[in-house]
Amino acid sequence: MIDIYYNVFHKVPWDYWIPVYFYFTGLSAGSFVLSSLFTVFGLKQFKSLAFTAGISAVILLLFAPIFLVLDLGQPFRFWKVLVPWYFNPYSVVSWGSWLLTIYPIALLIYCWYMFKENEKMIKIFGISTLPLAIGVHGYTGFVFGLIQARVYWYSAVMPGYFLTSAVLSGIGLVIIITLIKDKLLGGSTLSELFTPLKRMMIVIIMLDLFWIFCWKITLLSGTDEARASALISLNDSLYIFGVLLFGMLIPFFLLIYPKTRNSVRWLVVSSVLVLIGVFLMRYTFVFTGFEIPLS
Amino acid sequence: MTTRRESSDKVPETTNKKLPRRDFFKKSGTAVASAAILAGSLSACNFQAKNKSKTKKRLAMVIDLRKCYGCHSCSIACKSEFNVPLGVWRSWVKTIDKGKYPKVKRSFLPRLCNHCENPPCVSVCPTQASHRDDEKGLVDIHEERCIGCKMCIVACPYDARFSHPTKKVANKCDFCIHRVEKGVVPSCVNTCPSNARIFGDLNDPDSEVRKLVDTNKVQVLKPELDTEPSVFYIDLDEDAVGGHITT
Repeated sequence: MIDIYYNVFHKVPWDYWIPVYFYFTGLSAGSFVLSSLFTVFGLKQFKSLAFTAGISAVILLLFAPIFLVLDLGQPFRFWKVLVPWYFNPYSVVSWGSWLLTIYPIALLIYCWYMFKENEKMIKIFGISTLPLAIGVHGYTGFVFGLIQARVYWYSAVMPGYFLTSAVLSGIGLVIIITLIKDKLLGGSTLSELFTPLKRMMIVIIMLDLFWIFCWKITLLSGTDEARASALISLNDSLYIFGVLLFGMLIPFFLLIYPKTRNSVRWLVVSSVLVLIGVFLMRYTFVFTGFEIPLS
Repeated sequence: MTTRRESSDKVPETTNKKLPRRDFFKKSGTAVASAAILAGSLSACNFQAKNKSKTKKRLAMVIDLRKCYGCHSCSIACKSEFNVPLGVWRSWVKTIDKGKYPKVKRSFLPRLCNHCENPPCVSVCPTQASHRDDEKGLVDIHEERCIGCKMCIVACPYDARFSHPTKKVANKCDFCIHRVEKGVVPSCVNTCPSNARIFGDLNDPDSEVRKLVDTNKVQVLKPELDTEPSVFYIDLDEDAVGGHITT
């Protein structure tokens, strides 16, 4: 029997701004992916969505870095991450800061050409912005996935999991924005795109569940600390009910159950649930990682 | 070998022709540019390797746990040396009890920054504020460059770092480098009543730490992470390392 009689634990360094930041970059990258379906991949049916999704990607990404700066101990020194000779090639955050600077610029140009309806330039900037969008959210997966000290995060599935959940939240957001746009301006964009959006959501929820399964199974068969961290999350009602049940399983059920799967209303309900679920996923993910004591 | 020599003999014949000036500039220009790119990328790739080969000093501490009786003097000395605010510690003594009364054993584990040779906190720092200083031989922080992103605090596997409540930058043990540079030992070493802490340069073959590390069974914390700590323990109790969670 081992009793820790005295020890020092330093308080959790990150504040609530950090999951909010991850949520916003994820929403932005997800919206951009939807926008690129038409502009890059040439899927004509998504044409009506491209502009709305592009604009929402820009607005979300103008907010996201603010949350990151708010969490800094020295917010007025944030520019130091962009000083070239301070650049640390081993630091994911170093790379991410540059991505966070270049991506909004590329995105603004992309939206500008979309506003001007310059098809050729839209395609060029769409193709060049897509890797940046994937990078800007993928890097947050690497921020966690490369921290060996925190067993809960140290996993190869993180970048993939972060990206798919980003696309999931992006679809949810774009559905709600399209609904509001349809109501205000009159239109039937949402009912026209009902089937493809629903299918995308189903596939991505399944992919997300697959990542979660792989990740939790590896944790449960890992070291003492890894197993403990998995059990902490599986005993956390916010995780079980918020992330898994209401965030994924219920929307998934609503999208495939014969009585609800053909109604736009239930698609909107699923979108709202998914949006809340992805936020709770970011939140529980960050703070469960700090639950395992290191000293 | 012979074939290679033959081919190299033939080379002068073909390169003997005069290069037109424009071609020469073009070629030398591309050569210079590619050399610059190559040098740049190589220096970036060999960043860590270079630092390792240049190592001049490696400050280290040996903590002889057979001598430690848990008086926490080191924690107090550290607190007063740096005026460390309440709630955060650069140095502390973890204490565990093993067994059930009346068969109980208490073990002590004095803790501080491990000044790793391969520090995770340095590789995550986005501004190179956290760095390994090979001139001085320790892991240190450029406080004016630290933006307070707390990435290093998250990445340290030993919970040795914290966000300084008033300075709002990362902070940790720095082996009392201001004292060491003037030729005296760190405050915790100075104050330890049982001489359980021994301090010196591990790369100096005549130093006491080098001799202790070479002649004793020494352990480091979490060796599986390959951080190569510079704080060594003699007679370390495995159970005192890391968090304990019952699953």
